[in-house]
Amino acid sequence: MPEAFLETVALSRRFGGLLAVDAVDFQVESGAIHGLIGPNGAGKTTLLNLIAGALSVTRGTLRFRGTDITRWHAARRAHAGIRRTFQNLKLFAEMTALENASLGLHAGTRSGIFAALARTPGQRREEREIAQAALRALEFVGLAAQAHVAAAKLPYGYRRLLEIARAMVAQPALLLLDEPAAGLNQTEAVNLSGLIRRIREQGTTIVLVEHHMDVVMTVCDTVTVLNYGRKLAQGTPAEIQRSPEVIEAYLGSAHALA
Amino acid sequence: MESALLRRIITGVVLAALFLLPVFEPHQFVLHMLSLVAISATVALGLQLLLGFSGQLSIGQAAFYGIGAYASGLLSTKLGLPFPLAFLAAGLIAALTSLLMVPITRLTGAYLAVATLGFSILVYLVLKNEEWLTGGSFGLMGIPRASFFGYVLAKPAHAYLLCVSVAALVYLSLLRLERSRFGRAINAIRQNEDAARACGVKVTLLKSQCFVIAAFVAGLGGSLYAHQVRYLAPTDFTFWKSVEILIMVVIGGMGSLFGAVLGAAVVVLLPEALREVGDYRMLVFGAILMGVMLFGESGLAGFLGQCLKPFSKR
Repeated sequence: MPEAFLETVALSRRFGGLLAVDAVDFQVESGAIHGLIGPNGAGKTTLLNLIAGALSVTRGTLRFRGTDITRWHAARRAHAGIRRTFQNLKLFAEMTALENASLGLHAGTRSGIFAALARTPGQRREEREIAQAALRALEFVGLAAQAHVAAAKLPYGYRRLLEIARAMVAQPALLLLDEPAAGLNQTEAVNLSGLIRRIREQGTTIVLVEHHMDVVMTVCDTVTVLNYGRKLAQGTPAEIQRSPEVIEAYLGSAHALA
Repeated sequence: MESALLRRIITGVVLAALFLLPVFEPHQFVLHMLSLVAISATVALGLQLLLGFSGQLSIGQAAFYGIGAYASGLLSTKLGLPFPLAFLAAGLIAALTSLLMVPITRLTGAYLAVATLGFSILVYLVLKNEEWLTGGSFGLMGIPRASFFGYVLAKPAHAYLLCVSVAALVYLSLLRLERSRFGRAINAIRQNEDAARACGVKVTLLKSQCFVIAAFVAGLGGSLYAHQVRYLAPTDFTFWKSVEILIMVVIGGMGSLFGAVLGAAVVVLLPEALREVGDYRMLVFGAILMGVMLFGESGLAGFLGQCLKPFSKR
C-alpha cells in the first residue's frame, strides 16, 4: 500500500469527559478532495483542528507525507504546507483584503526586523513579491477589485472567499476547508464548488468539512462520515449516499440525500 | 492627493519645523519642555508598537524607562562611560531585562497588564532600596550632560536637538517596521491570534520581540531623560509613570505612531498649560482625558485624520 499523503492513526481528542474524536483512522490521498461529513457534534471540526494543529492530540498519531507531525504546533504545520480556513471566519478585520492575503505568505518569506529597518534590497524585493502573490491569490478567488477594502467591510460571501485566498496564497500542499459554504446562497455555493475544483487543479489536496450536501456530493472524490467522534463509513459520494447505516445515523431518512 | 504622499509631506514638514525651531531662539524653558516631550514620545512610541500593534497591554513601561535612565546615569557617573556608549548600553540593558517578560507573553489582557504592573513595582523597589547602587531615595546626582566625543551639549537647544533626533529616528524606524512583514504579523496577532498562527506566525516569539523592542526604546528614552534632567529619583519611575505612558498611547490613538507623539505632547504639556487653574490642574486634566476618550476611540490621531480627509483621496 502506498504511503498516505495524510494519515491519522487511532487519533483521539478528549474534552473533559467527552471523546470528541475517538480513535479515528483516516487517510487522505494526494490530490484528492476528501469530504468530512457528519451530524452536528460528530467531531468534524475537532478532527480538522487536530490536523491543523489548533488543538493538541490526546492520543494517536498524525502523519503528513510520511512525517510524524503529531507534536508540531500550528505555525510549524503552516510552514510545512498545511493551511486552513475557519468555520466562523477569522480574518484580520482592520486589514485590507490584500494585507490579509499577504499574511498568508508569512511562512515561506523571511525578512525580519533588521531587514525591515535597513530596507535591504532583498527585503524590498520580497515585499513586492508578497504584494504580487497576494493580488494573484485575490484574483484567483475573484476578489481583486476588493484588494484595498478592509476585511470587516466586505460582504459575508466575500469574506469566505478571502479566507480561502489567505490560505491559498502560499500554494499549500494541503488545504483544510471548514464549512466554506456556510451561509452562502445557492449561486455562491455553486461558484464555491468550481473554486474548490480549481484549487485541486493547482496541485493542492483538500479536506472539506461541509454541511452543504450539494457541494460535498459534487466535488468530493471520497467522503468520510463521522458520528459521535467515530468513523462511521468511508467511500465515494455515491457509496455514501447508498450506505444504509450512514442514512440511518446521519440523516434518519433516505430521501434527504437525494 | 494620494494619502500616502500626503502623510509623507506632513511628516517632512513637521520634522523640519521641529529641527528648525531653535533658530527662533525660544525660551530655554520651552526647549526643555519640548525635550521632555521628545523623550516621552520615544517611550510612548515603543509602547505603541507593543500595545497598538501587537495588542499587548503593558502597565510596566516605566520599569524599562527607569532601568535605562539609571543604567545610563550609573555608567557615566561611576564608570565614566562616554554618553554615546552609555546611551546604547541603556537601551540594551533595558532590552535584556525585558527578556524576563518572555514567560508572561502567554498572558493576555488584564492578566498581562497586572503582571507588567508587578514588574514595574519590583523595579521601583529595587531603585529605591539598593542604595549602594542607585543612591536609594536620595537619588542619583551629578549625571553629566550628553556629549559627543568631548563636545558637551551644554546649550538647551543642543540637548533639544538630540532628543528630537532620537525621537525622530525611533519614529521613522517603527514606521518602517509597521509597513513590513514583521509589522503585518504583529498586527495580525492583535486582530486574530488563531488566524495568525494558521498563517505560520510564531506568535510567542513575535510577542516577545515586541517586548524587547519596546523596552529597548524605553531604555533609550530613559538615558535621554537622565542626561537631560541630570538627577534621578526612584519616584520618577513609579507605576504612575507607566500609567502616563499608557495614557499617551491611548489618547493619541491606538495603532498610530503619530498619535503616540501627539499623546506624549498632550500628557507632558497639558499640566503645564493648566498651571493657571492651580489646584484644579489634575482635575481638569482628568476631565480632558475623559472627554478625548468619549470623543472617539481613535484618539487625537483619528481626529486629525478626519480633519485631513477632505484633502486626500482613498
